[in-house]
Amino acid sequence: MPDTFTPPAIPTTPVTPAILDGLRTIVGDKGLILDEQGKEPFVRDWRGTLIGTAAVVVRPGNTDEVAKVVKLCFDHGIAIVPQGGNTGLMGGGTPYPGHTGILLSLGRMNKVVEVDVVGYSMTVEAGCVLQTLQETAASHDRFFPLSLGAQGSCMIGGNLSTNAGGVQVLRYGNARNLVLGLEVVLPNGEVWNGLRSLKKDNTGYDLKHLFMGAEGTLGVITKAVLKLWPAPKDVATAWLAVRDPQAAIEILSEAHAASEDNVGSCELMSRAGTDMVLRHIPGVQDPLKADTNWFLLLEWSSSRPKADGAEGMAEKMEQFLADQMEAGRVLDAVIAQNEAQARNMWVIRESVAPASRAEGGGLSFDVSVATSKVPAFIDQGVKAVLDILPSIRPYPLGHIGDGNIHFSFMAPKGMDRETLRQYSPAITRAVNDLVRDMAGSISAEHGIGIEKIDELAHYRSKIELDTMRALKRAIDPKNIMNPGKILRL
Amino acid sequence: MTDFIGKLRGIVGERGLITEEDAKHPYLTDWRDNYLGTALAVVRPGTTEEVAAVVGLCIDDKVAVVPQGGNTGMMGGGTPHRDGREIVLSLNRMNRVIEVDAIGYTMTVEAGVILKTIQDRAAEHDRLFPLSLAAEGSCTIGGNLSTNAGGVQVLQYGNARQLVLGLEVVTPQGEIWNGLRALKKDNTGYDLRDLYLGAEGTLGIITKAVLKLWPKPKDVATAWTAVRDPQAAVTLLSGAHAASEDNVTSCELMARQGIDFVLKHNPGATDPLTERHDWYVLLEWSSTRSRRAGDNATGLAEKMEAYLGEAMESGLVVDAAIAQNEAQARAFWALRENHTESQKREGPSIKHDISVSVSKIPAFMTEGLQAMKRVLPECRPVPFGHVGDGNIHFNCMAPAGWDRARFAPHIEPISAAVYDLVVAHGGSISAEHGIGQLKVDELAHYRSRVELDTMRAIKRALDPQNLMNPGKIVRI
Repeated sequence: MPDTFTPPAIPTTPVTPAILDGLRTIVGDKGLILDEQGKEPFVRDWRGTLIGTAAVVVRPGNTDEVAKVVKLCFDHGIAIVPQGGNTGLMGGGTPYPGHTGILLSLGRMNKVVEVDVVGYSMTVEAGCVLQTLQETAASHDRFFPLSLGAQGSCMIGGNLSTNAGGVQVLRYGNARNLVLGLEVVLPNGEVWNGLRSLKKDNTGYDLKHLFMGAEGTLGVITKAVLKLWPAPKDVATAWLAVRDPQAAIEILSEAHAASEDNVGSCELMSRAGTDMVLRHIPGVQDPLKADTNWFLLLEWSSSRPKADGAEGMAEKMEQFLADQMEAGRVLDAVIAQNEAQARNMWVIRESVAPASRAEGGGLSFDVSVATSKVPAFIDQGVKAVLDILPSIRPYPLGHIGDGNIHFSFMAPKGMDRETLRQYSPAITRAVNDLVRDMAGSISAEHGIGIEKIDELAHYRSKIELDTMRALKRAIDPKNIMNPGKILRL
Repeated sequence: MTDFIGKLRGIVGERGLITEEDAKHPYLTDWRDNYLGTALAVVRPGTTEEVAAVVGLCIDDKVAVVPQGGNTGMMGGGTPHRDGREIVLSLNRMNRVIEVDAIGYTMTVEAGVILKTIQDRAAEHDRLFPLSLAAEGSCTIGGNLSTNAGGVQVLQYGNARQLVLGLEVVTPQGEIWNGLRALKKDNTGYDLRDLYLGAEGTLGIITKAVLKLWPKPKDVATAWTAVRDPQAAVTLLSGAHAASEDNVTSCELMARQGIDFVLKHNPGATDPLTERHDWYVLLEWSSTRSRRAGDNATGLAEKMEAYLGEAMESGLVVDAAIAQNEAQARAFWALRENHTESQKREGPSIKHDISVSVSKIPAFMTEGLQAMKRVLPECRPVPFGHVGDGNIHFNCMAPAGWDRARFAPHIEPISAAVYDLVVAHGGSISAEHGIGQLKVDELAHYRSRVELDTMRAIKRALDPQNLMNPGKIVRI
């Protein structure tokens, strides 16, 4: 966030002792956190870059309590910041320093309500931790595909509110594609029961898709019906040294047919990013000690168990990689021989975020372009940033099958965060202008939150912003629901 | 008024304007002849800018706009009211395919392109646009998207909503929203695209779209099977996923009554099986991998034959025929696709386009047929539909020889019986056809006040003057 950032105007009605008593009546003492030390982990984001305030952290235990809390706030015009696992990257779940209202944490609503194995669906409360849901599905021989670095602490309500992406989007789609129905507490405290488990339902406006990705500004998602898939039975994971990003795109393009449409993940990494993980994360092995700049984590998976004597995924992949080496796209490759080796490859990919924190200062842009433009974007983008700060250390990575690049940079060696901050506005403008010129998105999966509201306002048309504002005003006329996020009104 | 017409003429020119009654008529009635409306004019703009200018003029003159595509809707969503001050805005002159990006698997089109044209253009580039439904020769993509159309390929590829990357929309203020993005991921604020899709033209007019394309299937197997009962159809589909290696693209259930109507009203049609059966399933598997010659590679037809053989042994399937060539496959499909048209020729009917979760189809079918017969014992139920989507066209023909007037008093009680049952099973009263005019009251009856209020709030926010297809979906 640039130093010139002016926080948006938000309601500042205070939580009076009488209102606090009202909240206590609804959620009890165990549902309230009042002391500063207890509130601290809720009012700062996990990176520690945004720190806000809240009169009280309210932790309801069920939808009815959420509805009553919201109704009380609605009646008095008190602002609400809903929060899940507090792992967001854009500050969407972090209150502003001027926030005088409540922080509504869904963490106590963590029950799996129902698993319908035959119908391939699961009904859950918003506060369920993503990894718990993956494990619950697996224990029923089913698969819930949403998977991302923060899965051990992020919550499904936050995942849906931000339309999370992750490493399985290529095959299964973003979070919004994994949902059949929702329950939402609206800004006036009413409960919308849209917990339908239907594949087809053309009955009016699609409210479900409106609440997903709205980052809690239109209501609080309290429950969801999630889609499940058959569990993968035959998985092949490989770590490839590849010629360049263009080769990576071509490898993916050919992998679809070679795997018989079974490509699960295709993640591009750089030498610099891999080395950064190896430096900071203990126990991680370098799968290929190749002195090359680009790597690809490729995973194929099938729900059909490998039949005796038949070709499995690993055999198909081996043949494919041999062909790709002949074509000069793959320089070296290793296929994981066991679960531990596969796990190690994934740890490298998933540890980029924590490693970058340990590394020190840096900049990262979560952008997307059409898949075929990924190589050109990386090439031109790196040049543009190096023009501004020649000693900055780029380590682009991302979900290339989705056209989604985490366009990331470590601070130049020895440069402190404060100095880097001075370059941030110019670099941001250069990167986002390139995104615009390539008809891309300035936030592919992380959302807008606090961090990007001015960028969104800068790059989106007036009619688009006006339409979003009209929707916000219509559904949240008092502007109490996560005010000042996504949009300035 | 002449002034208004004159101004319209100034925007779209003579060839973009229809004012005489005879020429207007096809635009004022739906193809089922359920509705006949009136319009000051039928306006046919040639570009997005003309659409925007027409909408702007209508705002100034307080004239409502009824957007219309191919006019093949089932719910009267594209038909004007009888007593309104409205124009019909037909998109059918905006019929250009703007770009086919075969490498990027996308196609950018104007709203008035006929669905079949889009399928053909994709095929020319060795690509597939999967949306497929009976009206594909005359429906247009703008209407398909505005109603979030379903069809026979939803099982594998999803509803129309899932086939779109970006949209261009003329808003009720007459402004142009350019959301023509070809991105797979874009988390930048509210999902406007999904709001316009399925809104039946009540929140704006879709003028262009970026569509997703898929690899074209290279190996297709189509079977016509007689199944024991609806439960057998669900079980057959459930096993087919693994047996086909996740290549089931269609699974359509039909009752004998529907087949009888198709055979009666389509002289060329023949029953693929020698004996009569109560229930049929049209099963299609398709793969993007060509059949490899020789060694141990088996194509889909061989796999399907083996699977149906097992299903016959276990009693799920009573008899079956696998298409030996494309002509046979087309003949099987014609039996399915001529259902709607044949019922129209047979006489008056009620359509219930419902969905329940897949595993509830058999129970719903049994109880639903009983429910209709309880209301009118002589009625002729014609259930058919998309098993894998839980979507059944639970139609009911009037008794033989009855005209519409005689049947009319029974329509409401039959529908009420069906919809009550749908709601009791947690289903939807409109799985793919939408709400239009026909189901406005049904929706109001079965949906919660909170849901209706939220929809109204959205409608008022985006169309404060209520000039965009007013009176459709929700009453304001």
